[in-house]
Amino acid sequence: MSIFGYLCEVDNPKDLLDLSKKVYHAGYIKFDTYTPFPVHGIDKAMGIPLSRVPYLSLIGCLIGLTGAIALQVWTNGFDYPIALSGKPFVALPAFVPVTFELTILFTAFFTVFGMFAINKLPQWNQPIFNNESIKKATCSGFFLAISSDDKNFDIEKTKLFLERSGGKNIEAINH
Amino acid sequence: MNTINEQIHRVPLVLGDKSFKDVTDAIARPAEAKAPKWWVVGVLFSASVACILFAMIGYLIWDGVGVWGLNNPVGWGFAIVNFVFWVGIGHAGTLISAILFLFKQKWRTSINRFAEAMTIFAVICAGIFPGIHVGRIWLAYYLFPIPNSMAMWPNFKSALLWDVFAVSTYFTVSLLFWYVGLIPDLATFRDRAKTRVKRLAYGFFALGWSGSSRQWINYEKAYLILAAIATPLVLSVHSIVSFDFATSNLPGWHTTIFPPYFVAGAIFSGFAMVLTLLIIARKIFNLEDLVTIRHLENMNKFILATGTMVGYAYAMEFFMAWYSGNQYEAFAFVNRAFGPYAWAYWIMISCNVISPQFFWFRSLRTSIPVMFIISIFVNIGMWFERFVITVTSLHRDFLPSSWDYYTPTWVDIMTFVGSFGLFFSLFLLFLKFLPIISIAEVKGVMAIADPHHYESHTKKGGQL
Amino acid sequence: MTSKQLFPKWFNYLPIIVLVGLTLILGITIHLFWFWFSPKHLEVGYQPKQPIPFSHELHVNQVGMDCRYCHSNVEVSGHSNIPTTETCMNCHKTIKVDSPAIKTLTEYHNQKKPIDWVKVHMLPDYVYFNHAAHVNSGVSCVQCHGNVNKMTTVYQAKPLSMGWCLECHREPEKYLWPKEQVTNLDFRPDNQLKLGLQLKETYNVNPGEACSVCHR
Repeated sequence: MSIFGYLCEVDNPKDLLDLSKKVYHAGYIKFDTYTPFPVHGIDKAMGIPLSRVPYLSLIGCLIGLTGAIALQVWTNGFDYPIALSGKPFVALPAFVPVTFELTILFTAFFTVFGMFAINKLPQWNQPIFNNESIKKATCSGFFLAISSDDKNFDIEKTKLFLERSGGKNIEAINH
Repeated sequence: MNTINEQIHRVPLVLGDKSFKDVTDAIARPAEAKAPKWWVVGVLFSASVACILFAMIGYLIWDGVGVWGLNNPVGWGFAIVNFVFWVGIGHAGTLISAILFLFKQKWRTSINRFAEAMTIFAVICAGIFPGIHVGRIWLAYYLFPIPNSMAMWPNFKSALLWDVFAVSTYFTVSLLFWYVGLIPDLATFRDRAKTRVKRLAYGFFALGWSGSSRQWINYEKAYLILAAIATPLVLSVHSIVSFDFATSNLPGWHTTIFPPYFVAGAIFSGFAMVLTLLIIARKIFNLEDLVTIRHLENMNKFILATGTMVGYAYAMEFFMAWYSGNQYEAFAFVNRAFGPYAWAYWIMISCNVISPQFFWFRSLRTSIPVMFIISIFVNIGMWFERFVITVTSLHRDFLPSSWDYYTPTWVDIMTFVGSFGLFFSLFLLFLKFLPIISIAEVKGVMAIADPHHYESHTKKGGQL
Repeated sequence: MTSKQLFPKWFNYLPIIVLVGLTLILGITIHLFWFWFSPKHLEVGYQPKQPIPFSHELHVNQVGMDCRYCHSNVEVSGHSNIPTTETCMNCHKTIKVDSPAIKTLTEYHNQKKPIDWVKVHMLPDYVYFNHAAHVNSGVSCVQCHGNVNKMTTVYQAKPLSMGWCLECHREPEKYLWPKEQVTNLDFRPDNQLKLGLQLKETYNVNPGEACSVCHR
């Protein structure tokens, strides 16, 4: 294939929703839309499943929780027990604040870096950046792109389909 | 989606008939225009003040903590007061960005970036003080569980260690939250930048963000989770800071009211600081359409509410000192109000309890000069609150023979002044180089962002 | 319209490069502090030049002297003494008086000046260490000072770090010898653990681990 796919523009969020629905119902899977802000309802229109980020957050949370308890119990209770402040060596109530903070810390790490991993960020070099017009997507433009990797992609038919469905300024994403 | 509440007439969050491009232009303008003169002067001035801070820290490390005014009963002075002050300032940022986000308070969108930046810079200033307060700073690694040749571990049962974990977690999570929020806006800046250096710099930190909806879905979820965990975090941080005092057995510190009282005070002081900075910034950058009087009025309501809570806490401390029948506790509080530090106590009361009461009147809480003056008073008052708590409790301890009066030295004072230099240097750099208002989020709350907007043509762009 | 990519393709691999780099840097830093900045590396092997080339090897191994002839306070005092010049002169009044080293010694003695030995084993001032308490509980000289009987010039053999002290305070049975063998630096029991446990019982050895045991 000589091109990466097609990129087209629409005027406003509503048109983008309509176009996305048409593209999705036409059986395309590998397509994406580009918007300056998250458009409400776009996930349903494009058939995007629920985000997996919360599962990663939960994993981070559990690692933080158990890790913090293990760290404190092992260091203060077993490896170097110090008789201080009239508390037992393993003083669980006194371990609550640090456990809480580390749980939050690990949840945050897993949430953010997990989100990066799922989104494949950072990815500074992407085929879509070959097109000048995509720069508008971070300001006021609403775009839709169909990848040439999609099994329904056809260099002529897809272009025609986008034209008929209301896509404007259709461009090829070149190498 | 708009909630039913917002269908009723409310002042819109974005004034004027603005398009998406207008919003981007308005927010990007300060970063794209040539640096104005006041900015250059401001940066040079605050950077030189920040240099005083570093000079004072250098002197302190060279000479030891003897250069401070600490004496035997008063072992905690300016350093701890400044630490609590700066950490408290930070709390408003997280409150605005996280808690108001969870409550879907859309008015937060035009001030959250600003407030978060303030949080981070304030926590940087805060973190310096306990760090240098340990005296021998090269041993500060003792605070972290790092394997070492002493086979020693930190004492996890100590409130001071909890504080280390609370503040460092708070800083890290705030930074992540701020950065995640910045990514789409950095991409906007990248795509608008005129010079290659700017394109590369913004482009690098934008991580290759393209505005892809498949990424937005995960992004929004991650942002929501961050907000959800930052909310209990912000409440825990100042609670744990208050444990530094409350877990000791000193009259005036040893009170169970401390955690909620500190959290309310932190939000109070933080909102005052956001207000002070925002009033200046919106004027300078002509952002009156994005940061409207409604935003400021809402913040004043917060100041009034939290200020009243703080006043209640002051009163309740006195009540408990009397009601408990503990003569030491009673002495500590009578001594606060009428002892050698009575001047500090009454500055605190007039700034923190009396001044916000003016906000009961709508005309006063919508008047820019009035709110500016009151916000300054609150900033001063909240610094004095920490001074009163720390110093007055210590200077009359259980042993009358060791009673003393604490006076800060010039090093104490210049270190504190220098921390403002650092804060404002960072803040001015932020104002010049980063989007000071969240572009993507503001667009998201505009009426034209809602797909349903285009179905009925009775509504006009930008207004409900 | 096409536009040029802002970043080259290899830039997408930067996160992996950074991750690997960070892991390496972190590993090196930990190694640096854990080993290179620890007494195990910085202190062990310290061997200063002494004013008189006194050889422990000669006096102990060849002559057969006991540690306590010179360090006479070790059993009764917290501080183990460096012998006075007079102690040396007990023998060297008559032995090897013509050697240059002994001439220096005699010089010191005649001028009534102490010999300025350079201290080898140094503990920080905030650490309390009692020689008598250790020696009388069956902790041999060799445990802290190494085989001094084989040193021509004394050097520091053990790190003397807090972690190292704790190794013995936690498991004294691994190090205890019978009291009468503490100055026999070449003594090695057949079954240290069995002997140690037995001696721990007999001598009632309960070394503390609390801060105030050493930091008083």
